Amino acid sequence: MADVQSNPQSVEQVKYEPLYSIDGQSLKHAFFAALIWLRNHQQVVNSLNVFPVPDGDTGTNMFLTMQSAYSEISESSETSAGKIAHMISQGALMGARGNSGVILSQLLRGFARLLDDKPVLDADLLVEALGESRNTAYKGVVRPVEGTILTVAKDMAKAAEETRAESNDIIYILDKTLKAGEESLKNTPNLLPILKQAGVVDSGGKGLVVIVEGIYRYATHQTVEIGEVAAERAPVSLESLQMSQMHEEIEPGQDFEIVVDFKPVGELNLQSFYGDLEKIGTSIQVGEGDDLYRMHIHVPTEKKYDPIELVEKYGAVQKVYIENLMEQMKGKSGEEDFSNPVEEGQIAVVAISPGDGISRIFKSLGVSRIVSGGQTMNPSTNDIFQAYKDMPTDKVIILPNNKNIIMAAEASKKLSDKQVEIIPTKNIPQGLSACLRLNPQGDMKEIVAEMNESLDEVEAGEITTATRSIELNGVNVKEGEVIALLNGNLVSSSKSIVKACAELLKKSGIKDREHVTIFYGSDTTQAQIDEVTGYIAKTYPDHEVEVHEGGQPHYQFILSIE
Amino acid sequence: MSETKKSMGKISISYNAIATIAFQSALESYGVVGLATENIARGISNLFTKTPISGVVVQYDGDIINIDLYIIVEYGTRIASVTQSVANNVKFNVEKMVGIPVNEVNVHVRGLRVSDTD
Repeated sequence: MADVQSNPQSVEQVKYEPLYSIDGQSLKHAFFAALIWLRNHQQVVNSLNVFPVPDGDTGTNMFLTMQSAYSEISESSETSAGKIAHMISQGALMGARGNSGVILSQLLRGFARLLDDKPVLDADLLVEALGESRNTAYKGVVRPVEGTILTVAKDMAKAAEETRAESNDIIYILDKTLKAGEESLKNTPNLLPILKQAGVVDSGGKGLVVIVEGIYRYATHQTVEIGEVAAERAPVSLESLQMSQMHEEIEPGQDFEIVVDFKPVGELNLQSFYGDLEKIGTSIQVGEGDDLYRMHIHVPTEKKYDPIELVEKYGAVQKVYIENLMEQMKGKSGEEDFSNPVEEGQIAVVAISPGDGISRIFKSLGVSRIVSGGQTMNPSTNDIFQAYKDMPTDKVIILPNNKNIIMAAEASKKLSDKQVEIIPTKNIPQGLSACLRLNPQGDMKEIVAEMNESLDEVEAGEITTATRSIELNGVNVKEGEVIALLNGNLVSSSKSIVKACAELLKKSGIKDREHVTIFYGSDTTQAQIDEVTGYIAKTYPDHEVEVHEGGQPHYQFILSIE
Repeated sequence: MSETKKSMGKISISYNAIATIAFQSALESYGVVGLATENIARGISNLFTKTPISGVVVQYDGDIINIDLYIIVEYGTRIASVTQSVANNVKFNVEKMVGIPVNEVNVHVRGLRVSDTD
């Protein structure tokens, strides 16, 4: 791939040299750039979901699909572009999550099929492959809905075809394709009314544009934060990239770890270099290699690009590696053990839990294993299966605790030769209610029946913030308002949490119930908790009220009314 | 027949209306390339209806709806994800248009269609 060079002969600044072919390894790096670029934009894509509940689907699903695809090639040294494309396609198929993930896997599948076993990808093949991607994706549905990722893929393929007479430069084609994708994305609300209603562009389409943009950035070396530079430094597998070793404890406020490899111009003045670094960050280390230096530093978020700019004053930057340490810490601290020992022959329960607080409660109720997941992150069939496959007992009960997870739990049953029963719990209160019937030494059939009966004995309320304006179930929701869901159905939208709780309780059958349990979320403030518990105690003085830490994301409160 | 009491009177929605919504949203779901008749008798009776809705069975019980879908999936897509999406899509559309909560959407994969072999 061409180096970044400015061409002094041209009046217009040439940012890149033309690119005529891509081999397997370049394709791998380009795909990695797309993966990381998508990871960085995951939340943006998630925020475009049109459902009023913040269920963070599309971006996360597409990212996980890409990640699964990349894991197939991360350690491959295959030089054939066609073979790499096939591995990507295979990985995407295996890991496809959600609607957008499935469509993405079909796009990649078409791309790979056209490449066949060609050693390199050139302009002609690229354009044909984009066309085949589109064709394959459209074959997967009887009535394609326009204004979605399909439309964006179609418009991109068309734009690519139109470049055939103009240039053989892959970067030129990518540029045109990307621009067409952006245009097409902007137009999606005109094709799909629900998008217009919600005031957004299509999330899957956005994800696809981000992926192509990542590839384009790789090809044109616009890769400060991510992409090619990161790709080359990337450890062998993605898992190890995400869980990369922690150097030392993190100082508060020093959220990013930056590593820059560079070639100094002339002799490096170490003293002034250290002096400059100390002004922007901590944990400074400078290593010296064969006429190459490596600088390591921790900096606050707002200064994450400063070290790179600084190094540029001293020499030519070779590679940059940026990592968000706070995110990693979050990952680490999530490793509290919520499991209970399982004995041979007993009934073991696997529960899906969205937050640490709820996991702790499940543990205290005798749940053997916790699989973390919920509205934002649906665990895969395999995640659930892994939780119980090595247990010394063959009697397993699964509590999905979310309607979107029931199916994955059901599917895991087929992977196992154990006796697995799924109690279709759609929310946490139902899950907890079912847990109360657990007797590990009891009769499996009886307990399953009792758990199933328990589901109707509890009403579940959820309080969350609407991520966009929409009208649903006759309730008019404005973005940013607090919405209340009773047993999964939207019942009210109001300006304050207390009002939402009040509406929720009114609509629930609280009169016939005695007990309200409140689980507060990870972002809920003490003032909010006091306000809500105060309200309930005052309005329903005869009811018992219990408050627990739930730790769930997005939902300020989960209420169990029984 | 599902009925909702409104201040002005009664609104009733037939199984067929719900089935049509489910049928249309299933066909718009990615990965679903067709619906299969759930049994022979239905297949024959469908021959005589104007708008055949095969592959959808709606049960209405109290105030909840249960839907069974019998689908054909495109070969080469991840079936677990396709089935989940179609269930979500059908539930979302039925609830949005009818305003009655859907309790269950059971998806039965009746076959695969092979358009391309890799």
